[in-house]
Amino acid sequence: MKVLVPVKRVVDYNVKVRVKADGTGVETANVKMSMNPFDEIGVEEAVRLKEKGVASEIIAVSAGPTACQEQIRTALAMGADRGILIEHDGVLEPLAVAKLLKAIVAKESPELIILGKQAIDDDMNATGQMLAALLGWAQGTYASKIESADGGLKVTREIDGGLEILQLKLPAIITTDLRLNEPRYASLPNIMKARKKPIETVKPADLGVDVTPRLTVLKVEEPAKRQAGKKVGSVQELVDKLRNEAKVI
Amino acid sequence: MDGFDIGSIPALAEEHRMVRDLVARFVEKDLMPLEPAVLKREANGERYGLTPEEETTLLAKCKELGLWGLDVPEQLGGADLPLAALMAVEEEMGRTVTPFIFPPDSPNLHMLLAVANEEQRKKYLEPYARGEMRSSIAISEPGAGGDPAGMTTRAVQDGDDWVINGRKIWVSGVPRSDFIILMARTGEGKREEGVTAFIIDRGTPGFIIEREIPMIGGRRTYELVFEDCRVHQRQILGQLGRGYAPMQLRLNVRRLQMGARCTGMARRGLDMLIAHAKNRTTFGVKLADRQAVQWWIADAATKIHIARLMVRDAAAKLGAGEDVRNEASMLKVFATEMAQEVLDHAMQTHGAMGMTKELPLQLMASQVRVQRIYEGPTEVHKMAIARRMLRAAK
Repeated sequence: MKVLVPVKRVVDYNVKVRVKADGTGVETANVKMSMNPFDEIGVEEAVRLKEKGVASEIIAVSAGPTACQEQIRTALAMGADRGILIEHDGVLEPLAVAKLLKAIVAKESPELIILGKQAIDDDMNATGQMLAALLGWAQGTYASKIESADGGLKVTREIDGGLEILQLKLPAIITTDLRLNEPRYASLPNIMKARKKPIETVKPADLGVDVTPRLTVLKVEEPAKRQAGKKVGSVQELVDKLRNEAKVI
Repeated sequence: MDGFDIGSIPALAEEHRMVRDLVARFVEKDLMPLEPAVLKREANGERYGLTPEEETTLLAKCKELGLWGLDVPEQLGGADLPLAALMAVEEEMGRTVTPFIFPPDSPNLHMLLAVANEEQRKKYLEPYARGEMRSSIAISEPGAGGDPAGMTTRAVQDGDDWVINGRKIWVSGVPRSDFIILMARTGEGKREEGVTAFIIDRGTPGFIIEREIPMIGGRRTYELVFEDCRVHQRQILGQLGRGYAPMQLRLNVRRLQMGARCTGMARRGLDMLIAHAKNRTTFGVKLADRQAVQWWIADAATKIHIARLMVRDAAAKLGAGEDVRNEASMLKVFATEMAQEVLDHAMQTHGAMGMTKELPLQLMASQVRVQRIYEGPTEVHKMAIARRMLRAAK
């Protein structure tokens, strides 16, 4: 089974993001960038499927600027076989990415696509679902366990109040949740091997996809600063503050 | 003269950045969590080190991650990282006081690689590179530290053998060494001329470990005595009377390594300083809002940057086979003094907490204190830099 793993370049989860002075977005200059952690879980799961003999080839794909090669290289070092970079410098919205991925699917014919459930930068939580809709494939989102069963995949999903278990027919799309696995460190020999694995570069135009944004960001703001807590001396004072300062009772 | 050509410093290759990040993760997830236990044992007067269980776990992890033989040539089964990448790794390792060295622990590897003959390669170099043997190097003497002119340990030829008499001091890691590399005078010379390197196996009659000397920073060194210590001439490492040059090779790498380690230590100090300054309020003002503290932060960040650039520059040049004695001296002086200052400011920012043995700062500070002496004291290096400058001027 060929597996496609899309990976997104995002601001590293350890970085405290700052809003740009002009309010158009967050500062990314001189900021550490990494692979979206949910995508890392996706790569790990694909590698585990390959180790179990379920997957035969893993293709890591990333859409964005040239620097996204770093994230593809990380996926290759973790165990992906080759990479595809869809090079584009501007904004890429989930629908555009889903269309680009659909075009890659047409070229590569994978049977399984594992995406992160969302990217930690814009928290859209949309690309996987949109891609499933565009392709008309089965989807198992927020997966916390994946097993192969009855010629397809059994996916355990975390939903409100419990677990839901789905049987997916292939081809299928899975989006990963936090508890699916703990991604490995790429070992030194694998980092060195990754250097020799191929990364193909394509442009959105080569894939016949129009990626023009459909959304306009009006403004990005820092969350309001939280007020420091206050200690009250008595129940009377608390009631008084709730009534007269907070005006909630 | 060389040493003053400031070309552009090459960036680390992508795969080497990934190796550095891998090591950074290992330091943060596997080494730093052991610090409280390591510090507690050291504070209780026990040995500064890892328990066998801790060591076994870490070695298993290293094997899994392929962090093995980083500086060992490929034909000997190592990763053979270029010097610039090795130094980036050293910097990361400098951020923790958990004492751990990526296996094999082989500081004399490059000296052996440069001069060991076929027989010595089989007997010493190969098992050493595999991590099955350990070694130390004995250079300093009670009456002569950084200056080879005062070396009095002497080897005298007797048929096929050489008979060694003398005394060595400040030798690290002796009890666990399978062999030591010993510098001894075999001929006359004003400075390093006439000095030969010998390989002495542990247990050779006349090779005596005189005493263990506890040092600050949790370390221990040894004083050695050689009393009619007889070795066969095949134990000569390299050429007779020319033992100093290959050792110099080792010293340059070692000085770069110290520069990188000190950069890492200073980074840890600065990270802790910043974290504390943002949290701690005194007299109604956050420490981070006080100019004295801000200047410490600015100076530390600037100097860490400088030290890292110096390491990169020297590593790139040494890797390309250039003579970096001057760069190595400058780096050795700058990085050790810089780390001392940054750690001192970090301790000062922490107030009484900075004086405790619960934080790694005090241990790092005393380790840096040692580094200002080891491999040539600051003043000796300054003397050498000045001498080169004066000689080069018309």
